[in-house]
Amino acid sequence: MTRLTLASLQKHYGAIAAVKGIDLDVAEGELVSLLGPSGCGKTTTLRCVAGFELPTGGLISFDSADVTMLPPERRDIGMVFQNYALFPHMDVRENLRFGLQMRKVPSAEVERRVDAVLAMVQLGGMGDRYPRQLSGGQQQRVALARALVIEPKLLLLDEPLANLDAKLRDEMRFFIRSLQKRVGITTLYVTHDQAEAMVMSDRIVVMFDGRIHQVGGARDIYDHPATRQVAGFIGVSNFLEGRLAGRDGALWRLETGFGTISCGAGFAPEAGGKATAMVRPEAVALAPAGAGEGFEGRIAERFFLGNLVDLRVAMADGTMLQVQQPANSGFEPGQSVRVSLPVERTWLVREDAA
Amino acid sequence: MSGTQRPGRPAGGRPAWLLAVPALVVVAALIVVPYINILVMSFRVPSTSKPYLPGFTVGNYAKALADPDFFYLELMADTLRLAACITLLCLLIAYPVAFHLARTTSRWKGVLYALVLSPLLVGVVIRSFGWIILLANNGLVNQTLKSWGVAPLALMYNEFGVVLALVHVFLPFMILPLMGAIQGIDPRLEEAARSLGAGRAKVFLRVIFPLSMPGVQSGCILVFILSCGAYVTPALLGAGRVHTMTTEVITLLDQFLWPFGAALALLLSAVGLAAVVLYARLSGRMMRGLA
Repeated sequence: MTRLTLASLQKHYGAIAAVKGIDLDVAEGELVSLLGPSGCGKTTTLRCVAGFELPTGGLISFDSADVTMLPPERRDIGMVFQNYALFPHMDVRENLRFGLQMRKVPSAEVERRVDAVLAMVQLGGMGDRYPRQLSGGQQQRVALARALVIEPKLLLLDEPLANLDAKLRDEMRFFIRSLQKRVGITTLYVTHDQAEAMVMSDRIVVMFDGRIHQVGGARDIYDHPATRQVAGFIGVSNFLEGRLAGRDGALWRLETGFGTISCGAGFAPEAGGKATAMVRPEAVALAPAGAGEGFEGRIAERFFLGNLVDLRVAMADGTMLQVQQPANSGFEPGQSVRVSLPVERTWLVREDAA
Repeated sequence: MSGTQRPGRPAGGRPAWLLAVPALVVVAALIVVPYINILVMSFRVPSTSKPYLPGFTVGNYAKALADPDFFYLELMADTLRLAACITLLCLLIAYPVAFHLARTTSRWKGVLYALVLSPLLVGVVIRSFGWIILLANNGLVNQTLKSWGVAPLALMYNEFGVVLALVHVFLPFMILPLMGAIQGIDPRLEEAARSLGAGRAKVFLRVIFPLSMPGVQSGCILVFILSCGAYVTPALLGAGRVHTMTTEVITLLDQFLWPFGAALALLLSAVGLAAVVLYARLSGRMMRGLA
């Protein structure tokens, strides 16, 4: 098992910087996702690790070996492409044999390992089919098998599920994850789909504009996003802007247009300065007007989502909050409410990466 | 005219195949009819004083195939060898060019594309004279060599000159189909092969070349057929010292031996066609996974 280390990795195309200095450690057997919108540098990072792009700065190491300048064929990686990139002129077995033949594995062992990996991806009877005779999901599994049969140091997946329909995508998430755990291979996974990253990863790396904004587990990133962009990209957030009035122990007081709220922070903000807090729509608590504490608000709009109602709540200063409540919670448009923001779900975010 | 149209019928109700009529007329008038004429001619009795004598014979074919010195069969073999040689050279030269053109993102791509087609911009006679100016015994190349004190080379009036000039003009017919085929190969297949441990040579042999076979096949067939039928260039650059089936056929026509010339021309067509079919069979086996 291999540990992957990226140290201040950079990639410039002329004057354009695609990756602006990335530091990342992927532990042995860990699955780490690179998550971000298109153009954030996640695919370029993956292609640098694969060796298809030479970085313009920084180091890439597998365990302690520097591979930064090695061509892909000498890195011992298995890669799965978004369009699978199966060799169309070879049947499934020939596709799987290819990497083993390049490694000069004796042919009896080649056949044994091809049989084993075909069974592992549940394609036992499909060995003599050509790629075009397979469904998208089957091609996906052949691509996985082709990358795994060579028992590489590292498995690299570039948006492998993007071309599948929604139902199959859900199945394949679990299939890939359980296969990866069973094989115990260190894996780097590129996706723009937050749900995919959350379901599959040990840790998620959220990238914007060539930089890492946050590295963490799915819950950590959802509940405690580091930056405004992370909070906006993963799930839905309400952003509350204001002035930091001071702190009570671990909590900060943020003066907003409709009142002072308390919130946590993962960094040391400047007291007296401007700051932004985020709160998830489902974390906001509503109560009928007059009952208990909280800020005054009025239900402006209501959308029925089946299991939930999605409400727009107008605060005293005109701020609109998106609030989700159980479908049977019975708030009507025009109704006055009291809005409270639970302190453990209200969190200060940075404007940009640290 | 509402709601009465059916697939295959443009507005007005006339069937769509009518659109093919002009092309069919041209093909019939300029290819089918002359070929039938040649076929009939090849069975006529030759004469040196008029086009042919009355009556029909298979003597022309017998003479071509059963010549005691195998003159015509050897000529046929020479022609096919020359065509194969030109085809192979074209393939070797065209492949890197086609690969580059297919994959380049340079803004000069259009210019490069025009350069590829440039041999076709000049008529065949002019182009051959151009080569003569370069390759003649006292031509540009030999004068330059002489000024450097190098002994002159025999660059024309031999197969070298003919092959060189034909490779030049037929290159576009190889490059264009190759380029089309290579453009259709997903660059990620190369990356997949490299990620699996294949170096550049292995990637080419195991992935790129097999996948470009449709282009290789059509390019080779085009160039081979064109080479078999080339006349002006072998005649001018060979100047009577390079003999192919086409130069021989023209010589026979000059001698008024039309029926025999027709028989030779048809034999060349038949053998060339057979070679192409054989080649397509062989290369088709390499493409079983494609399409």
